[in-house]
Amino acid sequence: MSEFALEIKALSHVFGKFRVLDNINLQVLPGQIVAVVGPSGCGKSTLLKAILGTDPPTQGDIFTDGVPVRGPTRNVGIVYQNYTLYDFLSAEHNVSFGLKLDETSFWMRFFGLPAYMAKRRQHLQKSRNFLEQVGLSDACGKYPREMSGGMKQRVAVAQAFIMRPKIVLLDEPFGALDEAMREDLQLMLLRFYQENLIAKREGRRPEYTILMVTHELNEAIYVADRVIGLSRFHTHGGQGAAIVYDRPCPVFHPDDPRDFSKFVEQREELRKAVFDEKYVKDRDKYVTFWNELGALAAQK
Amino acid sequence: MIRLAIPLWLFWLLAIGGVVTLLGSYERISARQTRINELQTTIPSFEKLGEGLKQIFRPQGLPENPKPPMFWVDMRATLWRLAVGMGVGVAASVFVGVLMGAYRWIEAPLSPIVMFLSKIPPTAMMPIYFALVGTDQKMFTSMVALGIFFSMTQSIYKAVRQDVSDEAINKAYTLGASEIEIIYEVIWKQILPKIIDNVRLQIGPAMVFLLAAEMVVGSAGLGYQIRMQSRILNMSVVYVYLATLAFIGLVAEWALVTLRRKLCPWYVD
Repeated sequence: MSEFALEIKALSHVFGKFRVLDNINLQVLPGQIVAVVGPSGCGKSTLLKAILGTDPPTQGDIFTDGVPVRGPTRNVGIVYQNYTLYDFLSAEHNVSFGLKLDETSFWMRFFGLPAYMAKRRQHLQKSRNFLEQVGLSDACGKYPREMSGGMKQRVAVAQAFIMRPKIVLLDEPFGALDEAMREDLQLMLLRFYQENLIAKREGRRPEYTILMVTHELNEAIYVADRVIGLSRFHTHGGQGAAIVYDRPCPVFHPDDPRDFSKFVEQREELRKAVFDEKYVKDRDKYVTFWNELGALAAQK
Repeated sequence: MIRLAIPLWLFWLLAIGGVVTLLGSYERISARQTRINELQTTIPSFEKLGEGLKQIFRPQGLPENPKPPMFWVDMRATLWRLAVGMGVGVAASVFVGVLMGAYRWIEAPLSPIVMFLSKIPPTAMMPIYFALVGTDQKMFTSMVALGIFFSMTQSIYKAVRQDVSDEAINKAYTLGASEIEIIYEVIWKQILPKIIDNVRLQIGPAMVFLLAAEMVVGSAGLGYQIRMQSRILNMSVVYVYLATLAFIGLVAEWALVTLRRKLCPWYVD
């Protein structure tokens, strides 16, 4: 088992003659919730696709738990902004879909029915428990078309996390939701983080490692324990977007009041470092290297 | 006002009224034609239609050696050809359409061919079927199967491309699916209602191809009998056969819609 849930080494990506990402190096520890922010078109989605394995980088390597990424596998979970639930499955079947694929074989589903049915009962029970954990115990039998956007996104989150992947990628997960629903889901991630802290205290490996792309700076700082800024606005910006900001964030407890004034200073620093075109900066100034972050995370 | 709601009882009253008006008008026209020519058979009265109905259910052949009524002979021939042809055509088009939608390297060589051949009316291909498979049972079934194959393959391939997003497939990979599982558990299940709808929509064209072939080279079947009876202006039998075709269409439509509702309760038109 690797020290890092995710490790990216010297990743660059080129579309034709356009260099989108330049020399990205990133290490994410198990249990971290990392938010990636950056201006539109800076390559956040390209980076996410590279980690997922659907769009391999032109140069560089990506490892999840020490295993090189060669394509999408169950090591990396994904939650899309548009939910991407399976229309033909109810909420509980959507959540247990991965368990079915992972723990029963294709042929067992046809020729080993008694054993398969026993497994399915376990999967569905596990799925119901997870749906209860994300506040959807009443929606187990509902199909995606019968659910609101917030409910669908909770199901999508449960669907990804029930598989216990090494890392889960959230691609602007709450972008299509209203403010109240967005807040609920942010609190859900904070509860996951609290479970990570308990696991660390008990000497277990934390289960929820998240890399979340968002364009909401408040959300990034509120939910994550580490924020990464990806931008072309740096001294070598002509070569492509790079990590220009990498700092720890204050960790909020889900029961704490949402007080955004606590991180006004960091939000302004982040805005300046990542989004301010006029302010071309030395990117190293805002980057805390992973070993320091590791130490910080250990302290938390 | 456009789409103004009307009470259900009024809807049914108007629906029944439409049918009664049609039947009443038919009877009036028939009676007028009979007044002009007592022996006319082109627009037979309901009484004559009843006689036609008796005729098609009457055993054929000599009393000492009776043969099944012509209706059963024709129905059996047509329905068997339709079922085999549709079965083969649907199975082949689902297989090819799903693979074309799933794999680019299958889509690339096949899509231009499928697109081109789907534009040729199958009835115009009849001489080719005669030459290749003769004029026996194989000819009718291949006519139906190939007649629906190209357009249905194209519809299924498009359904796979449009209804199954790349995200859904990538997510299935992240949940541990293999390729065969993605094809069966994701693609097949997502497009199943579209397949059933396509089968429903293809029954009409398939009947057209089959009846056309039966009219040209058949020795039994609804198409054959309609042509033979219309040649002797025995329209009382022809109309009963046409009503039978409408009935087959309605039953097939109802059966497939029921099947879709049963198998795909999540699907909304």
